[in-house]
Amino acid sequence: MRVAFKITRCLLGSVLNDLRRSHPFAAERVGFLSCKVGGVKPWGWVVLAQEFHPVADDDYLKDHSVGAMMGPAAVRKALQIALSNEVCMFHVHMHGHCGQPWFSGVDLRETAKFVPDFWHVRPQLVHGAVVLSLDSIAGLCWHPRAPAPVRISEFSIVGAPMWFLRELK
Amino acid sequence: MKERYKRQSFLGPESDKIFGSCIAGLVGLGGGGSHLAQQLAHLGLGNFRLLDPDVVEESNLNRLVGATPEDAAKNSLKCDVTKRLINKINPRTRVEAVAKKWQESHQLLRGCDVIFGCVDTYRDRYELEITARRYLIPYIDIGMDVHSIGDEFSVSGQVILSMPGALCMRCLGFLRDELLAKEAEDYGAAGDRPQVIWANGVLASTAVGVFTQLLTPWHAGHSPTVYLEYDGNLGTVKSSSRLEHMKAKKCRHFSGLKDLGDPFWAPDES
Repeated sequence: MRVAFKITRCLLGSVLNDLRRSHPFAAERVGFLSCKVGGVKPWGWVVLAQEFHPVADDDYLKDHSVGAMMGPAAVRKALQIALSNEVCMFHVHMHGHCGQPWFSGVDLRETAKFVPDFWHVRPQLVHGAVVLSLDSIAGLCWHPRAPAPVRISEFSIVGAPMWFLRELK
Repeated sequence: MKERYKRQSFLGPESDKIFGSCIAGLVGLGGGGSHLAQQLAHLGLGNFRLLDPDVVEESNLNRLVGATPEDAAKNSLKCDVTKRLINKINPRTRVEAVAKKWQESHQLLRGCDVIFGCVDTYRDRYELEITARRYLIPYIDIGMDVHSIGDEFSVSGQVILSMPGALCMRCLGFLRDELLAKEAEDYGAAGDRPQVIWANGVLASTAVGVFTQLLTPWHAGHSPTVYLEYDGNLGTVKSSSRLEHMKAKKCRHFSGLKDLGDPFWAPDES
């Protein structure tokens, strides 16, 4: 099974603008993308980014061992969005370098803790996390029927111009 | 870069790979769609999804690129003729061809990067645009018309790029309620519409240019919405004045990005 992720150029621009803002004490910002999903037979499904939900300044915890640590209120608000709007939730943060990004050990440990919590409110949907660099993107998707998260294999930035991240044949 | 694409290398060092990995849906394989298929195959597009339920008839031979009198005699499927045309140009191209109405096989379109609509009715255009927006797929529409004015005729047409999140074909005034209503009223009484190969060719070529600029831009004039009007009598293609009036406005017909994805997606179906 393969997973594709699509986001409009306009929405990605707002995400980047928000994540680049400085925070009173956290070294970086994080947020959530609410998404919808569509089946693409025969190969898998496509996640469609719908809206960005930044984590509020007050919902970060002071933890200098990591770039940003969300407090329980941040996760609670994201869970509420998933419940009220019937949407998938994808955590999003940025690494300040160029080239293909990937999750740090801490990112992987923390996302593995809170992403499956979204199944408590939306058990029939996929959820996940994406990490942005200055010019690229990567992500993991948790499917309710899969034992482990699946790496998102294709990204499309939809706008003028289009941008694809996929295996080029 | 492969030798066959060297003359288009100004589109970028990776352009052959970008086109090679791209998936385009072509809905309608008549005068416009067959031209598009031919040009996209030459350009190096790697993956086609073709949808058209119709067969080739004698009256198609004035404009259906790739069709032969034998196809008309045998009533070959248009999607088979187009697939044959594409594979002759580039045998490595992957082509999925379905001889059904697109509404019966719309799942095939969901995985496309771009959808081209070369359909006859406003209703089809309206529904195709909704489908494309639901899966965040740019939609490129082409169409031509011949009107009689007294003893003369006027040949015209349009190429529209409808980008998810940007102005739609209703915003641009191309799709209007009265046109959809009139079409529904006249359903079945339209008869054969006049179609000519040179106008189809101009429109298809223009659409391929819009598509190429979208994937491998060769100049900085990126625009999320394109509305080009063809005047076949003057031989001109110009940006529509309607687009100029609407440029600063937002689409009010599609509720932002709210209506995305499958309305009833279930994890077991994927």
